[in-house]
Amino acid sequence: MTDDKDVWVFSEKPALQAELIAGAHQLSANTGGQVAAVVLGARSQAEQAFDLGAQRVLWLGELPSGRLVEDIVPTLVAAVQDKCPFGVIIGATVRGRAVAGRLAARLGVAALADVLEFQWDGSALLARHMVFGGGAVRIDRPLASPVIATIGQGIFETGSLQAQPKGEIEPLPWVEPPWQAAVIERRSRAVSSVNLSAAKRVVCPGRGVARQEDLGLIEELAQALSAEMACTRPLAEGLGWLPRERYIGISGAMIKPDLYLGVGVSGQAQHTIGMSESRVVVAINKDRGAPLMTQSDYAVEGDLYQVVPALIRALKARKAK
Amino acid sequence: MKIVVCAKLAPDASDIEVRSDGSISLDRAEWRIGSFDLQAIEAAVRLRDAHGGSVTALSAGPQRINHSKLRKDLLSRGPDELVLVAEDVLNGADTAVTAQVLAAAVRKIGAVDLVLTGEGSADLYFQQVGLQLGELLEVPAFNAVSKIEVKDSGVRIERSLEEETEVLELPLPAVLAVTTDIHTPRLPNMKEILLAAKKPVYEWSLADLELENAPEPRVEAVSLRAPRPVERKRILIEGSPEEAAQSLAGYLVKEGVV
Ligand SMILES: Cc1cc2nc3c(=O)[nH]c(=O)nc-3n(C[C@H](O)[C@H](O)[C@H](O)COP(=O)(O)OP(=O)(O)OC[C@H]3O[C@@H](n4cnc5c(N)ncnc54)[C@H](O)[C@@H]3O)c2cc1C
Ligand SMILES: Cc1cc2nc3c(=O)[nH]c(=O)nc-3n(C[C@H](O)[C@H](O)[C@H](O)COP(=O)(O)OP(=O)(O)OC[C@H]3O[C@@H](n4cnc5c(N)ncnc54)[C@H](O)[C@@H]3O)c2cc1C
Repeated sequence: MTDDKDVWVFSEKPALQAELIAGAHQLSANTGGQVAAVVLGARSQAEQAFDLGAQRVLWLGELPSGRLVEDIVPTLVAAVQDKCPFGVIIGATVRGRAVAGRLAARLGVAALADVLEFQWDGSALLARHMVFGGGAVRIDRPLASPVIATIGQGIFETGSLQAQPKGEIEPLPWVEPPWQAAVIERRSRAVSSVNLSAAKRVVCPGRGVARQEDLGLIEELAQALSAEMACTRPLAEGLGWLPRERYIGISGAMIKPDLYLGVGVSGQAQHTIGMSESRVVVAINKDRGAPLMTQSDYAVEGDLYQVVPALIRALKARKAK
Repeated sequence: MKIVVCAKLAPDASDIEVRSDGSISLDRAEWRIGSFDLQAIEAAVRLRDAHGGSVTALSAGPQRINHSKLRKDLLSRGPDELVLVAEDVLNGADTAVTAQVLAAAVRKIGAVDLVLTGEGSADLYFQQVGLQLGELLEVPAFNAVSKIEVKDSGVRIERSLEEETEVLELPLPAVLAVTTDIHTPRLPNMKEILLAAKKPVYEWSLADLELENAPEPRVEAVSLRAPRPVERKRILIEGSPEEAAQSLAGYLVKEGVV
């Protein structure tokens, strides 16, 4: 059997794997091949991939203790060289990016990073992604095969797919990596349980907030609006005032709430790409020329230290009525 | 310890001009060191200062990266020397080509213990080059590295994954892509800026790297356009804080968001 029309998907995160299976069907509809899930985990998880819509399941087995997900690279390289699929789509987690980059290098191709959409131009595949920090959309055509791409969470929807009949699980023979990193420790990070993408209203402080203590004021505004707190990247990375899970933008969360209220946010493309699809955009900034001020529905010109307390009072007064 | 730090010199994304037809021009953009590569340079310089050895900065790109201001900017941040591979033939090189060129340069530099890269470049931000480079050099390659400690046998690193921090020990040589919060990059002082002018800069051609033919591109950019702007009402609210707040609260009620 030739597999050169098949599309493989891999993610170490089961939820993302499910989305990729759904997305891969859009591709295989054009290549005329099948969607194969590459599964790392228990046999039951491999079986489950059929229920999620995979037509074939390539099974890596369970990761032996002390090994890293990244250690599958030589096995994947050998499997791809052996079976020659049309492409391999990999979930864009930190580990997924590492797997994709190394796999691409070994296969002599370039990985298409953070693809937002695949398109077909006659017989050729095109991939759309953001470059220049969200300032531009680039469409790339891969010239070499196989196509290696990474895709993040929330790009493809699961749900509409039919479960596939359970077929045979095809084990992939393990290839020992040439070098080994020793796992010394794993500490779970205190990840805030925030799900920004589900929030209806979001208040987003930026560097216009001068001190960490002043975030209390923004928090109070968020409460008055029953909104979730987000932030710009410098507040999370660099200043470390808020957890990374809360920053919005090209390298952070992508959100589409009913209300986005940016407080002391300049509105660089890297940030606004993550919130430009919000229904109502409000900016509070002392500089009326800040990019976000010209890209919002309501732009309040003023010092946040005066406007925010006044806004909290105004909102509370309305609620009390 | 011999360290190479890779830095991409690229057009500043905030200087993008959008033409009326939605196409994009970078002609007037200023070229800078990738903002996330500064952290890699800082990490390299600190490792050298603590353990001895040298830091070589390495950058590949079109001719225009060979510019005295960019050279000085790189060297004033602490590297001992700079290697530039500047050739226009590879204009718009993809990640595979870039990684091949960098790998050939690292081999030519020779006896390198550690290669550091940034998390992602300032313009394309594909976060791929470091990993591809490591694989081409056939050495361990890891991304999201937020801490590096030198041990007798190699390095102990911390990686910031989505939900956990992972501590690994690996043998050297290795290629590590560092996070943006590994260190705060220094601002060069006057002394370092003056010193930078005296540091060696090596300009290598692809032929010097024994890459007679430019590596074949694996990806072709078909189009590059500004994203479609979302129409906004653009109502400017001025006045005293109280007036502005009242006015905004009124609009928010009308929009049905409070
Ligand atoms: C490759 C790359 C990826 C990036 N990814 C992201 C990302 O995903 N998300 C992200 O957010 N950023 C990202 N960035 C950073 C981004 O370019 C900007 O630097 C950042 O978004 C700016 O944050 P800011 O608006 O909080 O700060 P600033 O740009 O410093 O803006 C602060 C604003 O506050 C206003 N202000 C100051 N004082 C007051 C006051 N008292 N009252 C009212 N207004 C005041 C100022 O006028 C200014 O407009 C990325 C950068 C790069 C290079
Ligand atoms: C000869 C040549 C000509 C080029 N011409 C152009 C051009 O005209 N226009 C253009 O935009 N790009 C050009 N490039 C750069 C190339 O397109 C990109 O570097 C490549 O696509 C990497 O993708 P990225 O920027 O997303 O890197 P990422 O994978 O996001 O970068 C990760 C890290 O890798 C390192 N890195 C990446 N690229 C380089 C580099 N070139 N030199 C040193 N370190 C690097 C940095 O440490 C960076 O932080 C050229 C590259 C070469 C080798």
